[in-house]
Amino acid sequence: MEQFWNEFPILSVITLFLGAFLTSLVGRASEKAGRVVSGIAVTAPLAMMLCLIRPVMLQGQIITYWLGGWEPVEGWAIGICLEVDALSLFFALIVTVAVFVSCFYAFTYMNHDDALSNYYTLFLMLSGSVLGLVLSGDLFNVFVMIEIMTFTAVALTAFRTTYEGALEGAFKYLAVGSLGSTCVLVGIAMTYSQLHTLNLAQIAALVPAFRGNTVLHMAFAFLFVGFGTKAFLFPFHPLAADAHAVAPASISLMISGVLTKCGVYGIIRLIYVLFQNANVVTVSYLVTGFGAVSMFVCVTMAFNQHNFKRLLAFHSISQVGYVITVAGLSSALGLGAGLYHAMNHTIFKGLLFLTAGAVQHQTGSLDLDRLGGLSRRMPKTTALFLIGAASISGLPPFNGFASKWMIYQATFTAGLIHHNLFYLAVCVCALITSVLTLASFIKVTQSVFFGQLPAEYAGVEEVPLSMRAPMWVLAALCLLTGIFPAQIQRFLLTPAVSAVANIPAYVDAAMGEGYAAAHGVPGAEVSALPVGGAWSPLSWLALLFSVTCAVAIVAILGSARDEAHEYISQTQDGAAGAKYDSFFSGEEAVYSQVGGSDLFWGFKHNWKRYFAVMQRWHSGIVNDYTLYGVAAIAFVLLVCTLAL
Amino acid sequence: MEFVLNNLFFLLVYPGGLFCVAMGILLSGADRILVARMQRRVGPPLLQNWYDVLKCCGKETIIPRHARRGVYLFAPVAGFAALVTIPLFLPVVNGRPAFSGNSDLVVVLYLLTLVSVCGMVGASASGSPFAGVGLSREMVAMISYELPFVLVILAVSLKTVILSEAGVPLTFSLTEIWNYQAANGPLICHWSLIPAALAMLFVIPCEVGMHPFDVAEAETEICEGMLSEYSGKPLAVYKLTHMVKLYVMTALFYVLFLGGMSTGIAAADGAILAVVCLLLTFLTMSLPHAVCARFRVEQVFKFYWTWVSGLALVSLVLVFFGL
Repeated sequence: MEQFWNEFPILSVITLFLGAFLTSLVGRASEKAGRVVSGIAVTAPLAMMLCLIRPVMLQGQIITYWLGGWEPVEGWAIGICLEVDALSLFFALIVTVAVFVSCFYAFTYMNHDDALSNYYTLFLMLSGSVLGLVLSGDLFNVFVMIEIMTFTAVALTAFRTTYEGALEGAFKYLAVGSLGSTCVLVGIAMTYSQLHTLNLAQIAALVPAFRGNTVLHMAFAFLFVGFGTKAFLFPFHPLAADAHAVAPASISLMISGVLTKCGVYGIIRLIYVLFQNANVVTVSYLVTGFGAVSMFVCVTMAFNQHNFKRLLAFHSISQVGYVITVAGLSSALGLGAGLYHAMNHTIFKGLLFLTAGAVQHQTGSLDLDRLGGLSRRMPKTTALFLIGAASISGLPPFNGFASKWMIYQATFTAGLIHHNLFYLAVCVCALITSVLTLASFIKVTQSVFFGQLPAEYAGVEEVPLSMRAPMWVLAALCLLTGIFPAQIQRFLLTPAVSAVANIPAYVDAAMGEGYAAAHGVPGAEVSALPVGGAWSPLSWLALLFSVTCAVAIVAILGSARDEAHEYISQTQDGAAGAKYDSFFSGEEAVYSQVGGSDLFWGFKHNWKRYFAVMQRWHSGIVNDYTLYGVAAIAFVLLVCTLAL
Repeated sequence: MEFVLNNLFFLLVYPGGLFCVAMGILLSGADRILVARMQRRVGPPLLQNWYDVLKCCGKETIIPRHARRGVYLFAPVAGFAALVTIPLFLPVVNGRPAFSGNSDLVVVLYLLTLVSVCGMVGASASGSPFAGVGLSREMVAMISYELPFVLVILAVSLKTVILSEAGVPLTFSLTEIWNYQAANGPLICHWSLIPAALAMLFVIPCEVGMHPFDVAEAETEICEGMLSEYSGKPLAVYKLTHMVKLYVMTALFYVLFLGGMSTGIAAADGAILAVVCLLLTFLTMSLPHAVCARFRVEQVFKFYWTWVSGLALVSLVLVFFGL
């Protein structure tokens, strides 16, 4: 069955890497040529991945590509392989869309910087490695791609070397990121020592024969922590904040929207397909527990942030925590909810980082205590930010609501079916995290976009259309994926979840028909995800719309008679306009913006002990963070070797 | 044609639109009279709040210099629209919501959140420092009641959940909650859910922002907080939102804990609903209003996360163990 799209996976990865080398050649001579090359290099993979939706998602094909035609001989896979099933394609779509948006945003956003050909080279390397990772069919190439990904991301984090804390953030990322990469390498070595193969499909086929093998359990532990590092799960979350806050916004989008998704992809592939550990209760507790702790700790950490992008970074990990939490539930509904939220997170968090970038680009500041009132100068950016904030807070009808609703249902159902109080507690935790997320974004809304405009920002301009257009793409996606959850489920989620459940098909596609059956690989067909019956978004969206229209018409008709008056603190002859000045006792209105860190005192006051402990933990010292990483490895190793 | 007329009736008259606005006005008027009587005053006429709304509509609308005009004017309207959508999901008419065969508790929870968020965004857009403090307090109040509210929702869902034919639980469905009560008696008669019902009674005044918990709109401390810059028609919409919230929250309690009863006559059901709402208004709003002084914001938070959440948690655990 030779089809032209069988070459698409390798071509898309090659395009990005080729683009990286070309930009470094031509970009030095002319910046415009560098832009054209990188523009083409990010558009082509997106187009190719979109073409693959039909065969992979709808017809259920699995595309394998053996480099150099080195197909498996006598049941042993020696060559390098790309294997694209619906799960890989799902993440590849997330990656290519994010890369596309980030690249076009950067054209204008980075115009204050120099050495831009280096930026595009590193950016395309990063994109290529991430795409290679999710499409790869063997474990060692996963490691190679992780290494390229980590080092280019570190370099890009420190791209603005003059920026305060850039080198520091990059160094922390480098140190702890290397720890994670090492974990992955150790895990791969241990797997190889037992199974003598690195091909993902073959590992999946051989693992059932090795049940109870302690070395494999340890390998699982190392791989889990390694991928967890890449997703910045607790206790690696301080790292993300340090790196995000100093990176250019287009790179923050990549780190939060794409790099963390690689960790998520790795963990899902690992527990569901490779080790088929999803039904083991200990693993479920472990994964869900790490997810829930990340979700909650990071959202409370976000409360105390003064920096716009640091706040977003903590929320990023909190949202990834949601994904990991439900991925650990080992139910089709849970996995579907996780994938949906992973996709939505890339969209809305990308949008939020880009609006933060727009604010930084125009004002030069990200300080929540000093900014304010920007909605008067940047109304379009404000509208975009509000869409992103509503999405991440899970307000209907945006996409965050749809996926969070599935998450609540998945955790609640797990608690019900397994009769387990832990999962119910996780459900409560998820619901509370959602309202705390909302609080954080109300804080940003108030302290950056609304309130009073400081004098120093009185001349700020709106960002140009070339920066707004990528943001509008993401904002439109926020709305579309929120209003049409049934279609998303049909075209994207159900195929991806079925692909995860149907391990024999994944094995057979790479190793030849009958290989899985010969090795006794368990697998199940998932026909369709249970679409939540109690909710039909379109019906009440229409409702909400009609009601809004009705009320708005009434309001407009009513106010047509008298025009609204501007607030005047002084009349024309200089005397105080006493009518409106009751709160200032007739004196001139002073600048009295409520800063970001002064909000929510009542909450912080009650939690001051918790925050004091958290402050001690997040010391900012890289030694401490590495130590937490080592502790996490020790803990997971202990759990996996003792309890599995 | 009949379908369209039916739906228009649902949307505009009963149980949405007119009915909930009228109920809101009556309940808030009754609340003021009840409080006044407990304080040995005569109190205003029953429709005083409605007169206030009308008066606001006749006043000029001032837009402060620091305000973002569009958001400032649109936020109250959006919040009101989100709020009057909720009654359409509550299965008060013969156990069926007005639209679609089923309705969802989480949607109701988030629509209530959306109402508060619209208020906060509007306040934020007014640019006033008082509004800034007000919205900060409103948010803390919201975090406070959200935990017990969520626990109550889970306890009720856990008690009433059934498995569908495919073995998938129909979670968070208000219709299922109603059906369960129709078969097994109102949930308030199940002793394991009495703590949850008590917790819910405490959630109502805080969600509505009534007196002992009205930290966000404290007149004497922060000049009405979120509303300090509002005037004219937007203020009228805010006042109306506040009143309708009274009805929505009491009706939600009715659906969650006293549902399942139906006489078969829509008008009689409506009358029962009205009486229950009035009783609940007296119990949860007028009584605390007359008895208590306003809490400080950190006291509200502490109270809800310890006592009220504790009550709801007791119910959740009892229900979990099948009691």
